[in-house]
Amino acid sequence: MSALDKIQVREERLPPSKGQAQAGKGTNPLANVFDELINFARSRSLFMLHYCTGCGAIELPPAMTSRFDMERLGVQPMVSPRQADILLVTGYVSVKTLKRVILTYEQMSAPKYVIGICSCTVNGGMYWQSYATAKKLNDYLPVDIYIAGCMPRPEAVIAGLRDLIENIKHGEANSWKDYYQRYDHYLGNQQRLFGEDWQTPTNVIGEARHYGLFGPETLGAHTALLEQYQRPLDALDMKIEIPELQRFQRP
Amino acid sequence: MSKELSTWLDKLLQELEGIEFRRKSARRLRVDVAPDALPALLELLRGRASYVHLSAISCVDWIEEGEFELVYHVWSYELQSLVSAHTRIPREPGRYISVYDIYPAAGFFERDIHEMFGVWFEGAPDMSKFILTEWDGPPPMRKEFDSEAWVNAHFDWQDYNPEWLQDLVAQGGGIAIPPDEQRFSRRNVDET
Repeated sequence: MSALDKIQVREERLPPSKGQAQAGKGTNPLANVFDELINFARSRSLFMLHYCTGCGAIELPPAMTSRFDMERLGVQPMVSPRQADILLVTGYVSVKTLKRVILTYEQMSAPKYVIGICSCTVNGGMYWQSYATAKKLNDYLPVDIYIAGCMPRPEAVIAGLRDLIENIKHGEANSWKDYYQRYDHYLGNQQRLFGEDWQTPTNVIGEARHYGLFGPETLGAHTALLEQYQRPLDALDMKIEIPELQRFQRP
Repeated sequence: MSKELSTWLDKLLQELEGIEFRRKSARRLRVDVAPDALPALLELLRGRASYVHLSAISCVDWIEEGEFELVYHVWSYELQSLVSAHTRIPREPGRYISVYDIYPAAGFFERDIHEMFGVWFEGAPDMSKFILTEWDGPPPMRKEFDSEAWVNAHFDWQDYNPEWLQDLVAQGGGIAIPPDEQRFSRRNVDET
């Protein structure tokens, strides 16, 4: 047994990912070394988009700033979903907000991780009886880590982030793949809440093919509805109604 | 000055017929009035008694009596006092007249009450959806709307004994609720 064979033991920590061939198994062991290096680097530089939906957001400024200092873990806030790695949903998600959260999540580039903070994202929390609040966030988005509490203290937030970092380092934070592999499941839950004609402008099925994550459960009855209700995306009409600006308008 | 004014207001209101008023404190007055007299009372309060600010219109659903109670809270900056005008309208058909022409701010409150309780206000400028855009269920603040049943029909509940919680309990933390003691779970809903 050579020394290179021992490295592959590490790979058994990886859960078998559906629809994707295990790259490098038995062919080039050095590929795994490179993957580990990438995972290590990735876990140490996380940009976090905090979608402050509820009261839990108030615990983030102390977690980010000098007292608890998230940045020593390599986690820092980011302003746009396209550049972010983590989507932090802090607090209750109303049905209207959930649509925006899903749009935001789908705009992020993979690999992407979702953290649900507070009891409300776990099970509706104190809004368990509310008609307007979504109950289980992981019905609609693949959640990597829940940080329970009402609200969790910055220590708990940091502990949760540390868990996520460990998972990323060991290649276990793969729930973003689940969104592509079981898109039909997530879309079905979204349609149950938003109606059958629910659409997002993101081509998730195309992205699943792009990442090589297209699986048997990506398509299904719900994605068929997607095609049925598909609307072409038209550009919005430009209307300038300010009298002072009328003269700039082309005839 | 203001004390004199409020005494005059009391005397004035005593002379009006068909209203019942109760001074709750020096700066709060409750008036109960029939629905057809309410616009005239508000007109009087605004035009003659300096109650120019409509703070809110609130609605109470008295389902057993078959009535909606509308409460118009008007504030006077000069008298520094609040008048709450209560009126009751029948729950069916739930139509009333808008006071938008007296207080323009009423437009927003009436729109809100329309979507939360389903009361229709004649003459209001806009009765379209206000906060509950994207909501197509019944008016949710009515007493007959069963929020719990709606929630059970539209959402799934988290499994209260998931693996991650068992792990936490094994480490000495968490609160585990056995499935038969869970009041709200998808499983129970399906059985009944």
